[in-house]
Amino acid sequence: MGIGGRIGGSLGESARVTTPLVGLCYDIETRMSQAKRVLVADDSEAVRTVLVTALTQAGYEVAVAINGNDAYEMGQTGSIDLALLDHLMPGLLGIEVIARWQAEGYQIPVIILSGVDDERTIVDSLDLGAVDFVRKPFRLPELMARIRQRLPD
Amino acid sequence: MVLEVLRWVGYGIVTYFIAMQLYLIFLGLLSAVVMRRTHHLNRFGRVADMLSSQTSPPVSIVIPAYNEAVGILESVRSMSIVGYPRFEIVITNDGSTDDTMQHLIEGFKLERVRIPYRPDIPTAPVRAIYRGRGSVDITVIDKENGGRADALNAGINAARYPYALCTDADVILDAKCLVSAMRRVVEDRQRIIAVGGNIRPLNGSTVQLGHLIRSEVPRRLVPRMQVLEYVRTFLASRPAWSRMNALPLVSGAFGIWKRSAVIAVGGFTTGHLGEDLDLTMRLHRHHIDNKIPYRIVYEPSAVIWTEVPNTLRVLKRQRIRWHRGLMTAVHDFMPMTFNPKYGKLGMVTWAAMFLFEFLAPIIEFTGWFVIPVAFLIGALDATNLVVMLGLALGVGLMNSLLALLLDESFGYFNGPADSKRLVVMAFIENLGLRQLTVAWRIRALIGGKSTRVWGNMERKGVANLGLEL
Amino acid sequence: MNGTRIAFFAVGVVFAVDTVLLLGLITLKTVHRRRMERHDQRRSIYLGVLSRRLAFPLHTDYIDPEVARDGAFLDAVIDLRNTVAGPEIDTLAGIIDRYGLVKRQAARLRSRFPLGRRLRAAVSLAEMGDESSAPLLIEFLSDREPEIRIQCARGLGRMQHTPAIDAIIERFGKESPWVRSRFADTLVGFGALAAWPLLAYARVNHDYDDNAAVVEAIRVLGTIGERDIGPPLSDLLAKFRNPELKIAAIEALGYVGGPLAVTPLVAYMQDHDWRLRAKAANSLGEIGDPQASPALRLGLEDENWWVRRNSAGALAGIPGGLGILHEALHADDQFARDAAAEALADCGQLGKARERQEQGQATAADLELLGFMIEDALVP
Repeated sequence: MGIGGRIGGSLGESARVTTPLVGLCYDIETRMSQAKRVLVADDSEAVRTVLVTALTQAGYEVAVAINGNDAYEMGQTGSIDLALLDHLMPGLLGIEVIARWQAEGYQIPVIILSGVDDERTIVDSLDLGAVDFVRKPFRLPELMARIRQRLPD
Repeated sequence: MVLEVLRWVGYGIVTYFIAMQLYLIFLGLLSAVVMRRTHHLNRFGRVADMLSSQTSPPVSIVIPAYNEAVGILESVRSMSIVGYPRFEIVITNDGSTDDTMQHLIEGFKLERVRIPYRPDIPTAPVRAIYRGRGSVDITVIDKENGGRADALNAGINAARYPYALCTDADVILDAKCLVSAMRRVVEDRQRIIAVGGNIRPLNGSTVQLGHLIRSEVPRRLVPRMQVLEYVRTFLASRPAWSRMNALPLVSGAFGIWKRSAVIAVGGFTTGHLGEDLDLTMRLHRHHIDNKIPYRIVYEPSAVIWTEVPNTLRVLKRQRIRWHRGLMTAVHDFMPMTFNPKYGKLGMVTWAAMFLFEFLAPIIEFTGWFVIPVAFLIGALDATNLVVMLGLALGVGLMNSLLALLLDESFGYFNGPADSKRLVVMAFIENLGLRQLTVAWRIRALIGGKSTRVWGNMERKGVANLGLEL
Repeated sequence: MNGTRIAFFAVGVVFAVDTVLLLGLITLKTVHRRRMERHDQRRSIYLGVLSRRLAFPLHTDYIDPEVARDGAFLDAVIDLRNTVAGPEIDTLAGIIDRYGLVKRQAARLRSRFPLGRRLRAAVSLAEMGDESSAPLLIEFLSDREPEIRIQCARGLGRMQHTPAIDAIIERFGKESPWVRSRFADTLVGFGALAAWPLLAYARVNHDYDDNAAVVEAIRVLGTIGERDIGPPLSDLLAKFRNPELKIAAIEALGYVGGPLAVTPLVAYMQDHDWRLRAKAANSLGEIGDPQASPALRLGLEDENWWVRRNSAGALAGIPGGLGILHEALHADDQFARDAAAEALADCGQLGKARERQEQGQATAADLELLGFMIEDALVP
């Protein structure tokens, strides 16, 4: 496949994945049903890359935002099944995004990624309606398990 | 005889301006040296994630509010997420005539509390005190109108923590500003009594939902000139003043003050048009007179964003106000000018403030008349005149370019268009805009009734004197 | 004329300098900016490759050994090191080892380069958190540059390298307040392992003039929160003469003292120095033992505002304390009434009373509290 490979799924749905260089080649197949769409919002490129890689490998469609305002707007499109939001982002904070979505009636399950010293944030975000929180740095297999739990087929 | 006099006066004026620019170069070079450390720490030092709740002194953010109903909730919310372990917000409702108070009560679920108000600094009567309890402690003081200085004093009275950050309701705080500024306090806790911050104009930048998304240099000339002015003073002057422990001005839009020190000198002076300049100088004087070791510093990486006048009309009123504030201060602190007892403050920075900031418009204005007359009469040699003017302009340009280079370490202006606009501004600002500010300040000196009534935009301290230099 | 020639020369110099500055600005904006962009692009690519290696360890993409020289590769490794935890750390450690990243940064740290490069190297080593760099970091704890010392300590803390604890404590007394506070945070990160060495340090040094370091050490003990430290710290407190030290110890006992510390702390509530009384009240609140209630109730009537406030705040957190505060609303002493009211507002009771009132479920105590806050008669 290589660069810019096309992945075919059933139901005529296809997800385009662009892979950077450094000689690699792999197959990805989407699941039988319509792929679930996960929003990843974090200002750290490393976090985004790791999550996008892992999520795509697991068969999810991934939308990416680099700040709170973009994340909020993407949620408004209504096509997001689960959101992984960083708490401290430029623009709107993670919990502010949740608050706004709730106020506007979007029922999007959110997993908050929070840094080490954010005790109060975790409590506040759970109060506001986040379904889970994961501390950063996170264990990848554990995070994937929690995501799978929130997105049953 | 008249010719002689005119010639000397003419040359004198131009020499004055060259001297002024040389002083600025000296400041610029010293600032460059000081900023180098900041630059490295900014890029590699990981300052922000270093302050924990144990080491960082708690801070009260004091905000005066007058008829701010429109944006008060958003801006207080955005302030409440500033990255700092322990802080509270104290808002003073300075007798607003709109429903600012209602907005606050509803927005933050405030409850009136009958707690004693301890007026360490005398203020206008306080009607009630409210507390809110969410993720941030908010205290609101409802008092009768007394002006910005009075409102700040009330806030300081009610503040519970040893350090107070005095700012305005419509300011956007950078996430790391409080950490950066308080870092200086932790470094030298015994002596530091005030920390000034770096103010950047918000005009032209993209703000969404109360957050700064992208910073850009505005296209319009009026705010653009101010961007250049602010960069010059905040990057090429203040670091040098701070290094000499002779910072004459901690801006009203961002100043961290040690509560006990402010109370000891009686707080901000009500009714003063330049209350921040006045308080800073009084703190200097008090500590020098009483031989108390102290430091007042400026932290370039403590950045905040605020809106500056967009039109000439508003700018004019702001500059007139600033200059009147400066006039009062020059009068009040005349004994300190050129007084060796006050060290570098008296001999260098305040002397320069008097000489180059206060007297400059008078001298420049005189120059507008004297030089052409002297030239026409033949008292001034054309080549000499051109050379000296060229020198003055060239050195002025040097200061602007140096400041822009120093600004690079912050990385706020990423697009090529931004720097282009600023460089162009550096060239063209002497083609009329600067001259306008001179005319306004002459107007301020003359005085009169129209220089005494102020709207909201101009109501805030002298904030950024030193821009005219 | 000589003067004119000098003047022309001066103008020439000035405009030459202007040109240099302008060129410098242009260079920074264009050349330098482009270099940074390419750096970021490479970093993105490395992030992608390394992420895939973390996500499916069985697939190994080929990574050219030359990347070891690339600052962007180092950045990518460090970013990932800060992002993931658990078994992925081992994979990254392997990569760090294979490409000799530690060695390279160590060399830079040792170099005579100016601050920028050395500081960057120190930060990189700290962030990589690789055990192999521990001896080097300990060595550079005494570097002449304070920021580098801070980073070395930070790195040793991140990798939990216990032999470093003594080295860091040894430097405690010699450091400036900022550096010392950073060291203190690192020691907190070591947790209980640092507690006993710190106590020993305090025991040995508390009599000397410059107590600031010992004060900081005691504060760290409180933050670490190791309960076993309580009794020896209590004993040590009795020996302290300096009020600053006493204040720090009283505060620390609030966190580590436990119920055994209540008696000595109650005694301090009678001290003539208001700062000790106020701190003691605070600490009694932290401990939360009802034994302290009588002393705290008396504290509501203290002449000093801070003591009253802390006593009231402490009562709010002790079982049975809320009742005492509600009763204090009727106290004879005006000070006590005000302090109790403020504490009831601060701990959220006032808000809850308001909610209950709005739902029509207000108790008598609620109405009383709400009424107290408003000058006029009771709220209906």
